[in-house]
Amino acid sequence: MRGVLGAFREIDAAVEAIEALKRDKLGDIRVFSPTPRHELEHAIDAPPSPVRRYTLIGGLAGLTFGYWIAIWASDYWPLVVGGKAVASWIPYTIFGFEVMVLVGALSTVAGLFISSRVPRLTMMVGYDPRFSHGDYGVWVECTPERAAAAEDVLRAAGAVEVRRER
Amino acid sequence: MATIAHPVPASEEPRRPNIATADVQLPAVKDYEQVDREIVATLHPTVAWFIGLGVAVFFLILGAAAWMYQIYTGLGVAGYNPPVMWGVYIITFVFWVGIGHAGTLISAILYLFRAGFRTTIYRCAEAMTVFAVMTAGLFPILHLGRPWKFFWLIPYPNWRYLWPQFKSPLVWDVFAILTYLTVSSTFLYIGLIPDIAVLRDREGISPIRKRIFSILALGWRNTDREWRHFARAYLFLAAFSTPLVLSVHSVVSFDFAMALTPGWHTTIFPPYFVAGAIFSGIGMVFTIIIPLRKWFGLKHYVTINHLDAAAKLCLFTSLVVGCAYMVEWFVAWYSGNQVEKDFFANRIWGQWWWASVILYTCNMILPLSLFWQKLRRSPTWLFILSFFINIGMWFERFVIVIPSLSHEFEPWQWTSYRPTWVDYAILAGSFGWFSMWFLLFIKQLPVIAISEVKEIIPPKLRRTRQHGIAAAGGHLPGEHP
Repeated sequence: MRGVLGAFREIDAAVEAIEALKRDKLGDIRVFSPTPRHELEHAIDAPPSPVRRYTLIGGLAGLTFGYWIAIWASDYWPLVVGGKAVASWIPYTIFGFEVMVLVGALSTVAGLFISSRVPRLTMMVGYDPRFSHGDYGVWVECTPERAAAAEDVLRAAGAVEVRRER
Repeated sequence: MATIAHPVPASEEPRRPNIATADVQLPAVKDYEQVDREIVATLHPTVAWFIGLGVAVFFLILGAAAWMYQIYTGLGVAGYNPPVMWGVYIITFVFWVGIGHAGTLISAILYLFRAGFRTTIYRCAEAMTVFAVMTAGLFPILHLGRPWKFFWLIPYPNWRYLWPQFKSPLVWDVFAILTYLTVSSTFLYIGLIPDIAVLRDREGISPIRKRIFSILALGWRNTDREWRHFARAYLFLAAFSTPLVLSVHSVVSFDFAMALTPGWHTTIFPPYFVAGAIFSGIGMVFTIIIPLRKWFGLKHYVTINHLDAAAKLCLFTSLVVGCAYMVEWFVAWYSGNQVEKDFFANRIWGQWWWASVILYTCNMILPLSLFWQKLRRSPTWLFILSFFINIGMWFERFVIVIPSLSHEFEPWQWTSYRPTWVDYAILAGSFGWFSMWFLLFIKQLPVIAISEVKEIIPPKLRRTRQHGIAAAGGHLPGEHP
């Protein structure tokens, strides 16, 4: 993965760099920030997260399994008391709900990990520890021919450091 | 994630301290570097911390020794007096489950409600939840005659082809508590990942700790993609945790409400238990956070405004709990059921009058002091009050469990109950177990969410705007705030 990284102290400078890089279509952009910021989010304008799908599928699967395990186990070993229903939906809603929450929550986490591509064993090219403390990083993936133009854009926006990485 | 916090523009008039939105302001925290430096500094162990850990471990060993004695000798050493076959263990189980609820309330429900004051206290409350539920989960096992058979409650394929009774509240409890423990632990860990990345990336860290933090951080890099998915996942986890808070203590209340026992068989129990749980949990949050903010020098993070806002929540839940107490009396009177009426008379004016006095004083009367702003904004009073709330809420469960079982339908069932030294030792051991985990947590991981605090600090800006953009929260003109 080849590209250019610009490190910024100020958020408005990083936003300006992102907008300029997008305008000039210099390559795919990745932003590092110590905390999520609406300014960066709007500048990047990324599509909605797919995590919600994992949540929905996990929740529905959990709900189904919670009801199923209680109903199946009751039918498998019936405890008939006073002619009452062997499988009773009212108490079994507790299992449906609890397992829905459990599987839905774990699926959400799975969705986060899969979508974010974590856990990962090696740090991404261009990552710098200062991006978890206070600085902002703008990484643009581009060919060597376009790297010079990307460097110019990052410097013009106010990057304190610009470097090529591969 | 505190993306909801928007500091006020500088042009506005100075805010009065009790205005609701003022609680998100951290005027003494200037930049991200200060946040990292001051919160990471809390991780260095001190002599006082080692002493505290030693005391916690001592009580834990005491409780463990008492449990071993009970296993060797039998449950009879625990003070049970038939028909009072639920005692300190079930009382303490409900107490600790309740303590856990405030953590999820603060981290999840207040997140969904956009309450800014949660930002600096939620991590502590969340950790408290996990350790409190871990503690609570021990008590049903302690209560078993053969604790090594506890896994029979979990449905799993086995050679005997036997399955648990899914209509039993005990099995409902197993599902509810295990789900709550799993989801709240997951919620805590997911929120911690960006902060662990900060710890991983700081300079001067030992190679072993760096390796551990690297594994725990899962290779987190703070990219826009990670934050985007993180924010969405966090929202959904909060959305799942919110009904879970309400359901878990409702399910715990079914342990009682499903029984045909005077004082227990009532439909008011689920909301009554949930309100009491949140109330007790907020009390424990005060017990923990007030000393921490002093010892760790974090008074400018957990400000008086934060305590004031939490105290209002405490007051509100106290009023709800007080209302539930009165509704209980009303229902007993209005039902026309003589057994129920006699039971309540015995609870208040009979043999358990002293427990009821403790309960009503600590949970209804003393929290009324929080109507006074001066007391809401006094950490000393809040700390003292929190002890009364903790005691009062333990006695609330005492008053629910013991008077009902000791005064059932027939006079021959009427008896008394006195805990033994084994009960007391295991009760003390539970506090030791909880404190040990909490003390270990606060010196390994940040007690204040670093990345969320950074969200409410105005970021550095290159351009200085005429209207003071930095004071306006760092939002650029024309951009979404």
